[in-house]
Amino acid sequence: MLETCDLHKRFQLERGVLTAVEGLSFAVSPGEVYGLMGPNGAGKTTTLRMILGLLDPDRGYAQVDGFRTDADPDAVKSRLGFVSASDGVYPWLTVREMLLYFADLYDVRPSQAEQNLAALAQVMDIEDLLDRRAGALSTGQRQRVTLVRGLIHDPPVMLLDEPTRGLDVVGSQTIFRYIDHLRSLGKAVVVCTHRLDEAERLCDRFGLLHRGRLRYEGTLEQIRQHSGKRSLVEMFVDLLDEPDAADPQAFDPAAPA
Amino acid sequence: MNLSTGRLVRLCRKELRETLRDRRTIITLVLMPLLIYPLLSMTLNRFLLSAQSGTAPSFRVQTATADEAEFLQMLLHDPRSHPPQAIRDAAGDLPLARFEFYVSTDDRPPAEALLAGNVQVAASATGDLPKQVRFVALEGDAASQQARRILIERMQWYNASVYRERLEQVRAEAAEPPLVVETSEIEGEADAPLLATVVPLMLVLMTITGAVYPAIDLTAGERERGTIEAVIASPVPRGAVLFAKYTAVVTVALLTAVINLFAMFLTLWASGLLHHLLGADAAFPWVAILQTLVLLVLFSGFFSAVLLALTSFARSFKEAQAYLVPLMLLSLAPAMMSLLPGIQLAGPLAVMPLVNIILLTRDVLAGEAAVMPAAAAVVSTIIYAAAALTLAARLFGSDAVLRSSELSIGSLFARPERPRAVPSVSEAAMTMALLFPIYFVTSNVLAQFGPASMGGRLVVNALALIVLFGGIPLAVALLSRDRLKSTFRLRACSPLALFGAFAVGLGLWAFAFEATLLGEMIGIGSLDPDLLQRADDTKQEMQRLSPLLLLVTFAVTPGVIEELCYRGYLFSAFGRRLGPWRTILLCALLFGLFHVLTGNVLKIERMIPSTLVGIVLGWVSWRAGSLYPAIILHFTHDALLMMVIRYEETLKRWGWDVSDGEHLPAVVLTAAAVAVLVGVVFVGLGTKPSEERKDKEST
Repeated sequence: MLETCDLHKRFQLERGVLTAVEGLSFAVSPGEVYGLMGPNGAGKTTTLRMILGLLDPDRGYAQVDGFRTDADPDAVKSRLGFVSASDGVYPWLTVREMLLYFADLYDVRPSQAEQNLAALAQVMDIEDLLDRRAGALSTGQRQRVTLVRGLIHDPPVMLLDEPTRGLDVVGSQTIFRYIDHLRSLGKAVVVCTHRLDEAERLCDRFGLLHRGRLRYEGTLEQIRQHSGKRSLVEMFVDLLDEPDAADPQAFDPAAPA
Repeated sequence: MNLSTGRLVRLCRKELRETLRDRRTIITLVLMPLLIYPLLSMTLNRFLLSAQSGTAPSFRVQTATADEAEFLQMLLHDPRSHPPQAIRDAAGDLPLARFEFYVSTDDRPPAEALLAGNVQVAASATGDLPKQVRFVALEGDAASQQARRILIERMQWYNASVYRERLEQVRAEAAEPPLVVETSEIEGEADAPLLATVVPLMLVLMTITGAVYPAIDLTAGERERGTIEAVIASPVPRGAVLFAKYTAVVTVALLTAVINLFAMFLTLWASGLLHHLLGADAAFPWVAILQTLVLLVLFSGFFSAVLLALTSFARSFKEAQAYLVPLMLLSLAPAMMSLLPGIQLAGPLAVMPLVNIILLTRDVLAGEAAVMPAAAAVVSTIIYAAAALTLAARLFGSDAVLRSSELSIGSLFARPERPRAVPSVSEAAMTMALLFPIYFVTSNVLAQFGPASMGGRLVVNALALIVLFGGIPLAVALLSRDRLKSTFRLRACSPLALFGAFAVGLGLWAFAFEATLLGEMIGIGSLDPDLLQRADDTKQEMQRLSPLLLLVTFAVTPGVIEELCYRGYLFSAFGRRLGPWRTILLCALLFGLFHVLTGNVLKIERMIPSTLVGIVLGWVSWRAGSLYPAIILHFTHDALLMMVIRYEETLKRWGWDVSDGEHLPAVVLTAAAVAVLVGVVFVGLGTKPSEERKDKEST
């Protein structure tokens, strides 16, 4: 369903070049929840942005449903849903207006959009909020509206970037229910997070990303065997302890600014 | 992605809803005009009433004692202190200035009241006869100086009359003065009405005020709210989202402008100031208001695009505000120009952004707008708006902005890492936006300060063409790492196509000539006899020049340089995005426009023939997949026209007169049509579109 193939991205900084993602390839099948994990700066968000078409990869491509980001970016975009912790709302629009606007951005027919909205509003319990101004919502309500927003065009692939960041227990529970719901619908889901406890509970498979490269990949059991560590936390600590010098791609002072 | 009208309208509606529901928009939209205009009208009222001609000016005078006040008042009431009736009649029989006297109630000297601005003159009248009369005025205060001048004059009239009376008493006969002074007035050229100078300034300021907030809120604000990523991640074209935002900003700017315009005129009308500004018997200026509205549409279209380009670059509200404050201050300086007397909408000012629209609004309100500069102002403003909008579309949601990196603005203009086959559309648009004003100003400057001789002028103009239309696209292409061969479409082509282009060139001039006549018929043409005379003089001078010089400057240079720019650089840039026909049309229109702007006089009559020739050039070049046939065609066409002009006299002797503006003889038209047809067939035979496709795939 979703596949990335040899994705590369380097950023030019004022001094040197930062390699954010290097040769990243992974695949997610329908109904599977894939945890893309790594410490801050590992390249998780950059990867999502390349899949979404927000950033052009220097090399490689992502593929959704047979459509490639480098050949048919719009076809890819229309098959992706995206929710991030930093997502906001339009304060002066009502929830309904905002969600229908996003349906329009994805070229969903207005009648179909109304149907999708009604169904999702019931699942995510926002029916009472539809005619409220989005700016007047509480954090939890806003989060549910954002989750509906990501699904309004019924995409087969869902990308979630740090979905529980800044949420309380109730908010996090909503996310867990949402991901279960996505799995039950047969969506391919990618969750980017550094909350390891959550990931162990939620995801079917994992990809451990460090300094732009995929270090371990597989089910929790497979990674344990491969790394010789019991938990994801131990594996993380192990990765973080690696000296910088062993990582030639981090900064290249010789590269032109 | 299918972008239906209905969908685009829904996108626009969302942006409008968002901005019109915002309290802050409403404040600038409604509250400002409600507060500003009554205030403005009160200020104007005071200013106008004191400067009003036709009513008596009134001044206040302070004296130390009541006796002094009484004495001076008596003098001023005495008819002997009044100017003679003949002089008053000649000056329009104005009523005499009125003076109110105030007496100091405490020990403070009258000069203090003067300093405090309570009175215009401090006066004293001391001693016995002859009394010492003394007037004190405030330095640098116009009203005070005027009051003192009138008082001194009145005293002088009084002295003169009394002297004369005394002389007549002594001599017992009429005393003739040594001079008899007479005066009269003629009507001079009126300054632009006050209304015409103040209104454009106010409107421009108000439109800017109205557009600023929505522009920031809908772009930088979207980033700050965290909604931009979700929008850019959707498959809707970025340009469509930006267009919706542009529509909303223009609408709010226009609403602000319209509300302000009506509030302003309503206040002026209600307070009676309109009559002072327009003259007592003027009707309500509906037509001028409507014309101003049209200009405001143009202005808000332009300014909103500029604002969006700036705010699209900003990452936050604060950053956007930091960019906009200097922009607003920058706009203020040219806006003030409309207040200065003697500034005309002409030459470079006609294409100077902002200034041209303000001056045009002023001229429209004053009822003295001229067609040519107005057209230059309108066309250049549309070009600037399009360029700004292209830039905004490029910036809105671009990598550099979404990623809060360390990269600076330079990265947007940085050279790409790998060479490109053809320039990007935005690069070409920016190049054009740069090129047109520079060329316009250069050709104006050359026309004014260039060499006096015809030959010298031709050489300098050809050099300017090479440097600007050859040099600038080349420099941009090199800086942007565009591969020169594919950018300028310098591909080999079939000799059949080259011959075809030559044949088309042999016949095309006749149709261009007919198109000019057609243009004149439907009224697009400069029928100004002065211009026709100048064109005639130019022609006669040209007929004395060497044919070789004419060929080099009028056929070789434009043939090569203009083609490199239009059918080379622009064609390859637009071709990838727009497809062949739209590219041919767009390049031809720009080509036509360029010929309108050549020299210091707008040559509107060249629009139709040049665009037509541009279409043919574009088609031939596209079919052949190369620039070379276009160069051959352009050269042949220009060379033939030049030679017809150069050897007009010879042709006349052969019984063929092309100078009288009549249609060409049927024989000539038929021969030309045959040449064009043969050419088209050969170009068709020499078609080689595969090269272009190969290039496309390689990019």
